[in-house]
Amino acid sequence: MEQYFGKAVKRVEDPRFLTGSGQYTDDLSLPRMAHVAMVRTPFAHARIRRIDTAQALEHPGVVAVITGQALRDANIGSIPPGWLLPDIKTPPHYAIAVDRVRHAGEIVAAVIAESRAIAEDAALLVDVEYEMLPAVSLGSAALASGAPAVHDEAIENVCFRWSIGDQAAVDAEFDRAAKTVKLSLRNSRLAPNAIEPRASLAQYVRASDELTLWTTSQNPHIHRLILAAFVLGIPEHKLRVISPDVGGGFGSKIFQYPEEVIVLYAARKLNRPVKWTARRTESFVSDSHGRDHESEAELAADDEGHVLALRVKTIANLGAYLTLFGPVVPTYLYGTLMNGPYRFRAIHCAVTGVFTHTAPVDALRGAGRPEATYLLERMMDRMAQELGQDPAELRRKNFIQPDAFPYQTPVALVYDSGNYEPALDKALTTLDYKRAREAQAALRKEGRYLGIGFSTYLEACGLAPSSLVGSLGAQAGQWESALVRVMPTGKVEVFTGAHSHGQGHETAFAQIVADDLQIPMDDVVIVHGDTAKVPFGWGSYGSRSAAVGASALKMALNKIRDKAAGIAAHLLEAAPEDVEMTGGQLHVKGVPERGKSFSDIALQAHLAHNLPEGMEPGLEATHFYDPKNFVYPFGTHVAVVEVDPETGRVTLQRYVAVDDCGPLINPMIAEGQVHGGIAHGVGQALLEHALYDEQGQFVAGSFLEYAMPRADDLPLFEIDHTVTPSPHNPLGVKGIGETGTIASTAAVANAVIDALGPFGITHLDMPFTAENVWRAIQGGKKAVA
Amino acid sequence: MQIQGSHHIQATRDQVWALLNDPDVLARCCAPGGAALEAEGPDQFKATVRVAVGPVKGTFQGHIRITEKTPPEAMTLTLIARSGVGGVSANGRIRLEEDDGGTRVVWSGEPQLLGMLASLGGRLLQGVAQAQAEEFFRRLEAEIVASDT
Repeated sequence: MEQYFGKAVKRVEDPRFLTGSGQYTDDLSLPRMAHVAMVRTPFAHARIRRIDTAQALEHPGVVAVITGQALRDANIGSIPPGWLLPDIKTPPHYAIAVDRVRHAGEIVAAVIAESRAIAEDAALLVDVEYEMLPAVSLGSAALASGAPAVHDEAIENVCFRWSIGDQAAVDAEFDRAAKTVKLSLRNSRLAPNAIEPRASLAQYVRASDELTLWTTSQNPHIHRLILAAFVLGIPEHKLRVISPDVGGGFGSKIFQYPEEVIVLYAARKLNRPVKWTARRTESFVSDSHGRDHESEAELAADDEGHVLALRVKTIANLGAYLTLFGPVVPTYLYGTLMNGPYRFRAIHCAVTGVFTHTAPVDALRGAGRPEATYLLERMMDRMAQELGQDPAELRRKNFIQPDAFPYQTPVALVYDSGNYEPALDKALTTLDYKRAREAQAALRKEGRYLGIGFSTYLEACGLAPSSLVGSLGAQAGQWESALVRVMPTGKVEVFTGAHSHGQGHETAFAQIVADDLQIPMDDVVIVHGDTAKVPFGWGSYGSRSAAVGASALKMALNKIRDKAAGIAAHLLEAAPEDVEMTGGQLHVKGVPERGKSFSDIALQAHLAHNLPEGMEPGLEATHFYDPKNFVYPFGTHVAVVEVDPETGRVTLQRYVAVDDCGPLINPMIAEGQVHGGIAHGVGQALLEHALYDEQGQFVAGSFLEYAMPRADDLPLFEIDHTVTPSPHNPLGVKGIGETGTIASTAAVANAVIDALGPFGITHLDMPFTAENVWRAIQGGKKAVA
Repeated sequence: MQIQGSHHIQATRDQVWALLNDPDVLARCCAPGGAALEAEGPDQFKATVRVAVGPVKGTFQGHIRITEKTPPEAMTLTLIARSGVGGVSANGRIRLEEDDGGTRVVWSGEPQLLGMLASLGGRLLQGVAQAQAEEFFRRLEAEIVASDT
């Protein structure tokens, strides 16, 4: 039989995506469907004095105008955060603002009309009288005394204060350290910019009192749970959430957004389908943003460059409201990652989560781990520079050794496996590091400035052991489900609680099934994203689909195989333990010529004319898989840049990535993930900035102002892998969807700073636009707004 | 964003002051043919201005309030105007100085763009705001010339 695992099988979903026949939420149309346009406030902070909807309601074709008060009167609840921390402030977040608006772009009314054009025209007629209030957009500014308050209940705008690690131990290490370095670092805010804007369509069926929501979601079951239990107050079984083809999420489609609440409310109230699709300008100000940290970091080492301790203080800008993962991203997905792949004696990381008058911040590809990696890898480079050591060798001497696992870090995580040097060596060989440094030195004499930057990252993904995350404040489990349903003809339907929004589950998961049941991939269909079909599952984020979702699938397949073997043994009059499966046949060991195909067994299971005594008919299995630990991908990324000292322009010349995500299910999909991930991280380093001015106005609201990386900004990536399987999941797989983003921002930043070394520059904040770099070279101030 | 400038007008401070307090004149100076200004109360005006700058097109509804005045020397005012594409909020100061037989109008302001206006090309609009303000005072001068003839 053909072996699928490890093979670069072409993605089965691509023909429909590439020919424009994908079915995205906005492609759906229902009879009598009405359209919504949101009225969004232009103010970062204002009191709503009065909303006059009369003129909009008179506009021909307008069906209704919904205000925040109408939702309150209908007992529509606040959107809750998904993770709680000690003493966290959780001010309410209503789908439509009632008396105050807290960020530019917040919804103040929703206009529903016969067409989208009418709705948008009428939205301009909703007359809202505001009293403009002072606003604050920067985390540190929000903490300053006298700063405008975002929520009355959050004193000094503090949402939470959180820390991890042993502060006294860190202090002791710093006292005896031979060398310490210190940096202030900004991790810039990003807009997610999935290629498909968010969209939601709601339908109400009065006869059964059932609501259906089609929406752009990474986790439809979480949406149903939150909407039913917390926001709408309807029975969970009366709401079906379908997330059809979704064009990218990157974390921005985890959150339970206000728009989904609005279309559901409107569909039921008006008894007709209601659809909303974001315009790109809306996406910029209403999608959850990512990152936005201000940090002070200190690193201590002995005189040989062995790191001793790390001390971090971070202000995390959470935006105006808490999102689903808002509290956990800058804490448990950040502070716990400060150890990287290194041997630290002590680490302390203190984080203050701050409300500001900006769009809410949630997970964004990597979610906390890119921020931690950026900080740690910048500090490692700074230390190498301070000690006059080679940055690659400084990292090497600090690596946790392969015989040291399981390895308890000072920041809670227990690494279960790892082997960091081979990835570094592979990257150095691919790069031809010695020659690259020689070229750098030679070109400097010609007035050309090359920089080489490393990121020997480690990440924790495959979210996550449920009891562990529960003890840390998660209001959710993090296991995953799989239901394998074999049909009488031997065709197989898999229902997974994981969700694909571009990752290729329909291919990768089918490869696993085809191998395990020794059937053609064409006989397998992967179903996801529909709460009416799929058992409860937690969706996809945190690189969990393969490690948790596919593990659940593997465990369910084991049950299918066991039952199939039992039926085969019965039919072959043998003991089940004597039956094996080779060449697509179940047969007695050593007698392959007298076997039963998987489809024979499937048919017999359903006919049930001749099953073993006491065996249930049918061939179907469900497994709920709860991982024992995170998985820990790692690797070495190297960027080579050239900086033009006359213009400040940074050119990324080469990019080498060696990743270890365990065995590759589909190397082509993995490669695609690495490519996209690198581009995403390079975008942050060189181009992207979701910038607010000091008054809380978003000044990067189109692709004119917000520069996404394009093909000509990127070199051909040179990628490779090492394979260190996860010891605790049945496939040994780890995650690869976020590694590129986690690693690349730091690698590019280190390369740029390396190139700028001759100018006496030891640090510069992202993005390294030509203007910012030029100003730094000129000794001037970094450009702002 | 900060805009500022000065403009010499060949008229007395009293004449210039009178123009600056005449809603019809102000409307013509804001945007010839496309603005309406009506008094809402003492030193308060309601403004409707049509604007078309690059991708920003729309009718702005706003309120102008003179917050301090010392005739015929100085005034400070606040403006807030909104449309479907965002808005602008501004504080401004105008000082009238005797200048070589005429009046030197010294002006400054801090317009703050709001909403889509800020996020779409906001960073390019400082130059536009400066130019619009300069244009306003050129038109004001033209009003003087017109009233002289």
